[in-house]
Amino acid sequence: MTTDLVIGMAGSGGDGIVSAGESLIAAAAYEGYHAMMTKSFGSQIRGGESSCRVRLSTGRVLNPGGTLDVAVALNWEDFLKFGAELPVGDRTVVIYEAKTGVSPDALPLSGVKPREVFAVPILEMAQKSAGSEKAKSTVVLGLLAGWFDIAREAMLRGIHKKFAKKHPELVEANEKAFAMGEAYAHAHPLLEPRAMERPPKRAAVDGKRLLVDGNDLCAAAAVFAGCRFFSGYPITPSTEIMQFLTRELWKYGGSVMQAEDEIAGIGAALGASYAGKKAMTSTSGPGLSLKTEILGLASLAELPLVIVDVQRGGPSTGLPTKPEQSDLFQAVFSAHGDVLRPVLAPTCVADTFDVTVEAFNLAERYQTPVLILSDQEIAQRKETVDPIDTSRFSIEERRVPTPEERQEYARFRFTGSGVSPLSHPGLEGGNYVAAGIEHNEHGDPTASGALHARMNEKRFRKFAPLFTRRDLFHLEGDPQAPLGLVSWGSTAGVCSEAVQLARAEGLNVKLLVPTLLYPIADEIFREFFASVQSGLVVELSYQGQLYRLLRMFSEVPKGVLSFARSGANPFQPRDVVARLSELSVALQSRPAESRPPQE
Amino acid sequence: MTGVLKSLTVKDYKSDLKPIWCPGCGDFGVLQAVYRALAAIGRPPHEIAFVSGIGCSSRIPGYTTAYGFNSVHGRALPIAQGIKLASPELLVLVAGGDGDGFSIGGGHVPHAIRRNTDLTYIVMDNQIYGLTKGQLSPTSPRGSTTVTSEYGSLEEAVNPLLYVLAYGCNFVAQGTPADMPGLASLVEEAIRFPGFSFVNVQSPCVTYGEDDQQIKAQKAKMKTLASLGHDPKDKLRAFELAQAYGTELYTGVFYRNPNPPPTFESMVKERQTALASKAVPRERILDQFQQQ
Repeated sequence: MTTDLVIGMAGSGGDGIVSAGESLIAAAAYEGYHAMMTKSFGSQIRGGESSCRVRLSTGRVLNPGGTLDVAVALNWEDFLKFGAELPVGDRTVVIYEAKTGVSPDALPLSGVKPREVFAVPILEMAQKSAGSEKAKSTVVLGLLAGWFDIAREAMLRGIHKKFAKKHPELVEANEKAFAMGEAYAHAHPLLEPRAMERPPKRAAVDGKRLLVDGNDLCAAAAVFAGCRFFSGYPITPSTEIMQFLTRELWKYGGSVMQAEDEIAGIGAALGASYAGKKAMTSTSGPGLSLKTEILGLASLAELPLVIVDVQRGGPSTGLPTKPEQSDLFQAVFSAHGDVLRPVLAPTCVADTFDVTVEAFNLAERYQTPVLILSDQEIAQRKETVDPIDTSRFSIEERRVPTPEERQEYARFRFTGSGVSPLSHPGLEGGNYVAAGIEHNEHGDPTASGALHARMNEKRFRKFAPLFTRRDLFHLEGDPQAPLGLVSWGSTAGVCSEAVQLARAEGLNVKLLVPTLLYPIADEIFREFFASVQSGLVVELSYQGQLYRLLRMFSEVPKGVLSFARSGANPFQPRDVVARLSELSVALQSRPAESRPPQE
Repeated sequence: MTGVLKSLTVKDYKSDLKPIWCPGCGDFGVLQAVYRALAAIGRPPHEIAFVSGIGCSSRIPGYTTAYGFNSVHGRALPIAQGIKLASPELLVLVAGGDGDGFSIGGGHVPHAIRRNTDLTYIVMDNQIYGLTKGQLSPTSPRGSTTVTSEYGSLEEAVNPLLYVLAYGCNFVAQGTPADMPGLASLVEEAIRFPGFSFVNVQSPCVTYGEDDQQIKAQKAKMKTLASLGHDPKDKLRAFELAQAYGTELYTGVFYRNPNPPPTFESMVKERQTALASKAVPRERILDQFQQQ
């Protein structure tokens, strides 16, 4: 029986291939499988080629997977445009539209001989069963259910749910299309059966598992954390955050402003925060470039603000629809003057909730802008997420001056912690001027070097507790392992699986995943590296930005190397294991005297 | 909003900070007019948010006892809109210079106007960059010689009055510190106007400004729109009169929409009220993603 299946499908815009993927993952989730779905489109706004990958498993899915187990091509021209996203290997079952006229022994796949190939008259079956070529995607679902025994009942239920309300006449047509696909599969059995094992029953989870992408979950988390103002400017791949909030925020007494540009987006959000509301803006790399000046203002005026940067390939317009982890330097450094602002990164869809709530809490606690570095993959991929116990989160509110403190209020009073009570308009006695100009404790402008130095010290000191936040780091594997991996964001899920594979092969490796990317918690990294003789910092950027940050702010052992590549070239767990094996071999073959003393 | 317990005077709005402006700067008169307008309206200082950008004029919030936000160059309007939407009960004033409003921040003006949040935007227009010591501004007349236009500027000046009228602003006025009491009543009227209001102030720069923009010259030149028999309801006539910006000095209200449209925040309030019943308790916010 199969416990893990990766299905990739491609077709033209009108083929409904992405909609088939949506139906498949929804049915699988309902049935109790863990699943992940990524979509990819050509650059056309409408039509053009589109594709999706769905990975199903009886256990947790950590990443979108590598080589396809099943490839579905409604036409080859479109399929081949997604070469990197839809890799066919020697274990792949290829299903394609017979009408393409391509002979099964002459597939346009160079250097690969797939395990099994089926030329299926998908279009013909759609027309015969449902009287419309629109039913092609339903035929495909029937084929998948027939060959791989996936969530049959749930898929039929899904068809009913999808059409019953608006187009009841289509229910029967699509049921027929599904049945025809299923019958075709049964009549042409796989040489090597690959039926999916049933997912384990889990009473606590059944029916309560979520199916959601990172952008929607981030937006929902913002509402949960008490966000009551959002303003932003549409930009791929972050726009869904704004779309969600324009539907939801009003219900909670909040408001949303679609700004005229990225600068106004962050400006209005900062204004709302100054007025006492929790506020957020979201963007992608090009937008973050534009927001930089007001980010600096937020730091100097010590105002809470959450900024989400859903990273895409850069620089400039770059690759708007592809993931990359190359905004880290920008998130950390883009400011003039001496600035520290916390940067957090979610590692998967579920983690987006935790990270977003944490970002709001940090923003209020330290009166600071906080950046969330998501990326296109996490933001736009759908995942099954086990129910989130929201009672484990505490929500922090800002430290407002008491009436006594407002008798002689000084907005930027020097305190032990570096955090000063923050008033807002409407509070009598708390009046002050927020400013981008350096100021004294009362907020009055100053050009004094001595005051500037004290204020800088205050603005950095307040973050001291962040450097020991071990709960913002995930550690996997043997804490004393000589091989170490560090990874972040969407790449972390790849490394997580790589650790499992590597350990199964006898490599003693551990993994550290920071969700707090900045400030670099030097002590936590040093502890991790203490046992590490050799290892990798794995990330999706040409420069290896986290690796370089670690070299700058911590001590990285000489044997730890950067394993980095440009965006839109996602890592596979096997790539990481292969590098680890090389490192391990090199470690064994080093002369004994150069090894650290054994205890 | 708290009720007015005692009547407030100019003194209550005046902070202890000493302005950095040059002696004789027009901005002193603007500040005085703002004090008077605020005292006439009588909202306590903690219910007022005064937002500005960067420039000589943008120091103004600090000279009042209101809450202030002396932000970054050109961004006062977005910040002010965020404040007003977050706290609609506040009185929100915005001030800045001609560079702030019509050069670096020019892109925000039409959008603040079409959103129609209830803000009063006072531009202290001196046709020069004073804080950086005398460079060309967007309202400097063509041919101006400044330190960045040694042989005379080649660009036409922006006409702020025509711009905001064309953007659809529902209240457009112009004043001058040469008539401080008149300016005070314009500012007061602008604040009382329900919706976005704009007051252009011909505020002379004593250090870098031309002779013909100084208070003395202005006094000789200024004409009230009322004396011309202008009806502020007449938008087309307002456009005609606004053409004279840069040649004539008209003061008063160019345009006041007799039927002001709803403000952004009032529509927001309606929407919030209409949708409030659809809110789910915080701990159930994720139910919408369940596969049932």
